[in-house]
Amino acid sequence: MLRYALNRLALSLPTLLLVSAAVFLLIRLVPGDPVVLMLGDQADPQQIADMRAAMGLDRSIFVQYGLWLLHALGGDLGRSTTNDLPVLPLVLSRFQVTATIVFAAVAIAALIAIPIGTIAAWKQNTKADFAIVSGATLLLSIPSFWLGLLMLLLFGLKLGWVPVVGYVSFSENAFQAALYIVLPVVTLTLIEIGILTRMARAAAIDVLRLEFVAHARAKGLREGKVLRRHVLPNAFAPTLTLIGIVLGNLLGGVAVIETVFTLPGLGRLLVDGIYARDYPVVQGCMLFIATIYVVVNLLVDLAYPLFDPRVTAA
Amino acid sequence: MARIPLKANALIGGLLVGGTLLMAATSVVWTPRNPLAVALRQRLKPPSPDFWLGTDEVGRDVLSRIMAGAGTSVMVAGLAVLAAVLLGSTLGLIAGFLRGWVDRALMGINDALLAFPGILLALGLMAVIGASQWGIVLALGLAYAPTVARVVRGAVLSIREREFVEASRSIGNGEGYTMWRHVLPNTASPVIVLATSMFGWAILAESALSFLGLGVPPPAPTWGNMLAAARPYMESAVWLSLAPGLCIALTLLGVNLLGDALRDRLDPRSTER
Amino acid sequence: MTRPSLCTASVILGLLTAGPGLAQSPGDYTIRAALNSDIRSTQPGGNRDANTDVVMMHVVEGLVAYREDTSVGPMLAESWTVSDDGRSYTFKLREGVVFHNGAPVTSAEVVWSWRRYLTPATQWRCLPDLDGRGLAKVVSVEATDPRAVTITLDKPSAIFLSIIARADCGQTAVLHPDSVGPDGQWREPIGTGPYRLGEWRRGQSVELTRFDGYSSRGGEMDGFTGGKIAYAARLRFIVIPDASAARAALLSDSVDVLTDIPMAEAMDLRQRPEVTLLHTPTMGATAFLLQTRDALLKDPRVRRAFALSLDVQQIVDGTMEGMAEQNPSIVPIRSRWHGGDQSRRPQRDVAAARRLLAEAGYRGQPIRMQVNRRYANTYDAAVAAQAMAQEAGLNIELEVLDWATQLDRYTRGEYQMQSFIYSARLDPSLSYEMIAGPKDVQPRKVWDNPEAQELIQRSMQVTGEEERQRILSELFTRFSQDVPMIVLYNQPDFLAGRANIHGLRAWPSGHTRLWNVSVR
Repeated sequence: MLRYALNRLALSLPTLLLVSAAVFLLIRLVPGDPVVLMLGDQADPQQIADMRAAMGLDRSIFVQYGLWLLHALGGDLGRSTTNDLPVLPLVLSRFQVTATIVFAAVAIAALIAIPIGTIAAWKQNTKADFAIVSGATLLLSIPSFWLGLLMLLLFGLKLGWVPVVGYVSFSENAFQAALYIVLPVVTLTLIEIGILTRMARAAAIDVLRLEFVAHARAKGLREGKVLRRHVLPNAFAPTLTLIGIVLGNLLGGVAVIETVFTLPGLGRLLVDGIYARDYPVVQGCMLFIATIYVVVNLLVDLAYPLFDPRVTAA
Repeated sequence: MARIPLKANALIGGLLVGGTLLMAATSVVWTPRNPLAVALRQRLKPPSPDFWLGTDEVGRDVLSRIMAGAGTSVMVAGLAVLAAVLLGSTLGLIAGFLRGWVDRALMGINDALLAFPGILLALGLMAVIGASQWGIVLALGLAYAPTVARVVRGAVLSIREREFVEASRSIGNGEGYTMWRHVLPNTASPVIVLATSMFGWAILAESALSFLGLGVPPPAPTWGNMLAAARPYMESAVWLSLAPGLCIALTLLGVNLLGDALRDRLDPRSTER
Repeated sequence: MTRPSLCTASVILGLLTAGPGLAQSPGDYTIRAALNSDIRSTQPGGNRDANTDVVMMHVVEGLVAYREDTSVGPMLAESWTVSDDGRSYTFKLREGVVFHNGAPVTSAEVVWSWRRYLTPATQWRCLPDLDGRGLAKVVSVEATDPRAVTITLDKPSAIFLSIIARADCGQTAVLHPDSVGPDGQWREPIGTGPYRLGEWRRGQSVELTRFDGYSSRGGEMDGFTGGKIAYAARLRFIVIPDASAARAALLSDSVDVLTDIPMAEAMDLRQRPEVTLLHTPTMGATAFLLQTRDALLKDPRVRRAFALSLDVQQIVDGTMEGMAEQNPSIVPIRSRWHGGDQSRRPQRDVAAARRLLAEAGYRGQPIRMQVNRRYANTYDAAVAAQAMAQEAGLNIELEVLDWATQLDRYTRGEYQMQSFIYSARLDPSLSYEMIAGPKDVQPRKVWDNPEAQELIQRSMQVTGEEERQRILSELFTRFSQDVPMIVLYNQPDFLAGRANIHGLRAWPSGHTRLWNVSVR
C-alpha cells in the first residue's frame, strides 16, 4: 500500500513539472508586465528597465525558470511582486479560506445527497425518483455565481440576515466566522447537492444490481435494512471517487464564488495575481492547485478499497 | 411500481435546448432591435411594451441582446465541444490503440492538462491569440479535450479486444483501417453522451469566465458578460441580471435533461432501460 | 462589527474643539473605510499605489503639501524662501512637532530623510525627477540650523515644490531614522501624521491609531495640510476588491466610508437616503488616444474628422449623468491654470467630418480602439463614440483588453486608438509633460511635436505667472490643431459616507482624508 502510494506520487512528479513549466511560460506570454503595472502611466523606460532588472525579469526565461524551480524544491516559492509577501505562506493562508468553504459545502452536500440519491435509486423509476432527479438536475443547472448573487441580494441586502462582505477566520471568532461564510457555503452546497445526488443515485443503482443485495433480499431482510446495511455503505465507495474529483475541481475553481462574496481565498488570489501579472503568485497558486489535485486523487484511490466490497473481495 | 414516462426528460430537455437554438438561429437574421445600438438617453429602462426586457446601462435593448447572446453562447460552446471532441478523440484513439510508451506519454500530458485550471489557460490563450471568441473556444476545447481522450482511450482499450475487431484483423485488414472502420464508430456513444454534458459545461464556463472578465469580449453580447455587466445594477435594475441568469439556467437544465435521455438510449451501462 | 460608541467621547477632549455650533470631539470609536486593494507596503513613495498613498498620507507628512485648490502650501515647514537665482530653497521648520516615537522634528531628520530618498537603493518614486534625469537635480541638502534646511538645485525650476508635494512620492515625508533598521532595511514609518500605523493584516485590513502627540497646524482642513484633528481613535481600512460588494458593505453598515467608487455604484448610491455621495472633478483625465504614427491616423484630417464626429457633451452627459463636465484641455478643469480659452471645442459636424475623410482618402478601413472594463466609464465612452463615429463613416472596432495588457500597449505605443484614463497631475506643465515627448525614445508619449516640447520646457522654468499662462494657452491651441488625443473630461472622484459620518470632503486630488471626519 505504502509502496503503491509512493509510486503514484513519483509518477505525478512529471505532471507537476509539466504544469509548472507551462504556467511559467504562459503567464510570461501574456502581454503586460508587473513593472509597467506598478509604475502606471508615469513609467519612463529607464525606470522600467531598472525595476525589471531588480526583479530579475531581464534574464532569459530558462534561467528564470531554473532559479525558480531550484528555490521551489527547497520550499521557497518566491515573493509576491505586488506586496512582497512570501508566496508559500500566502498561498497556504488563502487556501485555508477556500478549504473551509469547500470542505464544509462538500461535506454537508454529501450528507444530504448520498441518502437522497440512494433512496432515488431504491425507488428507481417511481415518481419519487423522478422528483429527486429533476430537483437535482435543476439545482446543478443554476450557475453558481448567479445563485450567489441572488442569495446576496435576498439575505444580505433585502433581509439583512448576514453580513454581505468580508471574512473572519475561525481562530479569531468562530461565531462571526460562521456568519460570514454561511452564504457562500449554502450556495456551493446547493449546487453540489445537485451533482452528488445524481452521482450517488447512479452508484447505488449499480450496487442494487449486485448479487449480495439480491442475496440479502432472498434471505428475507426487509428493504429498509437492505438499504441501510448493504446499499448505502457500498454506494459510498464510488461516490467517494466522485467527491474526490469534485473537491479537486472546486479547490481550483471557486474563484467565481470568492469573487461574488469577496472572500480572500485561493481562487481570488490566482485571479488577482493574473490581473496584476504577479508571476510568483500565479506560479505558486498553480503549482499548489495542481499538487492538491494530485494528492486528493491519490487519497481517494487509496481509500477506495477500504469501502468497496468488490475491490477487497478480489 | 408505476413507471414514469422517461421520455419527459427528452421532451422537456428538447424543448428548452430547442428554444435556445431557435433563439440563436433567429438572432442571425432578426432581432427586435440592433443589439449593439447605444442610446444613452434610454439607460436602464425597466421592461415595457417598447423594450420587453428593458434596457441596459448604455441603453441597449436587453431582449435583442439576450437573443444575440444565445447565438454567441451556443456558437462558442458548440465549437469548444467540437474542438474538444476532435482533439480528445484523436489522442484517445492513438493512445488506446498504440498503447506502450506512446500511451503513457500521452496520458501523462493528459493528466497535466487535467490539473490545469481553465481560468489561466483561458487568459493565457486569449492574450496570445488576442481577445476574441476564438480564444475562449480554443481554451475550453483544450480544457475539455483530456476528458474526452480518457473516455475514448478507455472505450478503445475495451473494444479492441472484442471479437469483431479480431475478426477484422484476421481477414487481413490493416490496423489503420480496423481502427477507422470498427473501433472508432463504437466509441461514439460515450462520446456523444459526454459531448452533451460538455456543451452544458462550456456554456457555464463561458459565462463564469465572462463574469470574471476573462470571457468573450464585449460589446458582443453573451449571457455571461451580460450578467457580469449587470452586477452593479442588481438592486436598481433587477431585470438586467434575471434575464441572462434564467437563460443560462434553463439552457443548462435542457442540456442536462437531454443528456440524461441520450445516456438512457446510448450508454450500454445505462441503468434505466 | 464594532459600532462607534459615542458615549465615551471625552468631555475634556471636547474642550479642544474650536468654535461654537456643532460640538464635535475626538471619541473612542473606529471609522471603517473600504479600500479596493491592499496597500503595497508601508514605505511612503516606495513600493506604492494610489491606495498606499491614501493610507500613508494619514501617517506621514513632508515639508510642503498640496492645498485644497492644488496649489502647494507649507506643512512641516513653517515657511520657505527661495534664493535670487531660484536654485536654493530654505525651509524653516515648525516648532513643537514630534514624531510618533516622541522625538522632536529637527533639521537633522529632514536631512536624513532627504538623503535617504536621494539614494538610488531606496527606489524613491520621484528620484528620476530630481537626480538630473528629469527637470532638475538636487545638488545638496544641508541643515543650516536646527530648524532650517536648505535644498539646492542645479537650475531653477517652477515645479520643484509640486514634485516634492506629490502623494505618490510620499509627500517626500520627513521620517525618523528609526523607521529603518540598523541593517538599512525598512521597518515601519515613524512619521508626524495625525495617525500612526497599527496592525496591518495583509490582504484584509490596515488599522491606524490616533497619535495623541500630534501638533496640528492652525486653521481649516486644506488639502493635505491645514488643521488636522483625529476625531476617530482608530481608522480601519478594509480591503474589499469588488465594487459591488463594497457598495453592499456600505449599505449594510459594514463600512462607514467608501472611496474610489466606480460610476455604476455611484449612480446607485446617489439615490440612497442612508448614504451621502460626494463628487468632484479630479486632476486625472479620461481621453481617446490617437496613434499619430498609425498608417491611417497619421493623417491629421482623419484625426480631426474623428473629433468632429463626436458630440462630447452628449457622451459626457450620457455616461456620467451630470457628474462630470466636459473639458477639451489636458489641463484639469479645476486647475487654476485652466483659463476660459481652454474650454473651446469644435461643434459636432458630421458633414465636415465626412468631407475630411473623403479628402484623406479614407474608405471605411477598420480602426481598432483598445478599451478595458476595469474603468467602466472609459468603456462606456468608447461605446458611445463608436456609434457617433459610425455616422460620419468612421469604422471603429472595439478591442477589449484587460487593464494590464492595455497599459502595456500604451507604454509601447502599440495601438491605433485607446480609451484611456490618466492619473492625476497637479501641475499643468506636468499634465503636458505626461502626454508630450519624442515617440522614438518614449513610445508611450502621445503628442510628438518638437515645438510643443520646447514650450512645455519653458513653462516649467518661467516664474512669471502671466507668461506661464500665455504659454499654456498657446499649448492648448497647438494641441487642438494636432488632435493627438481627444480629452473628454476629468473623471470625478466619488466618495461616499453613511449619513452619520460628518466632515467628509471630496477634493481634486482624489485622495480620501479621514482626519477631521467624525461620527455623529
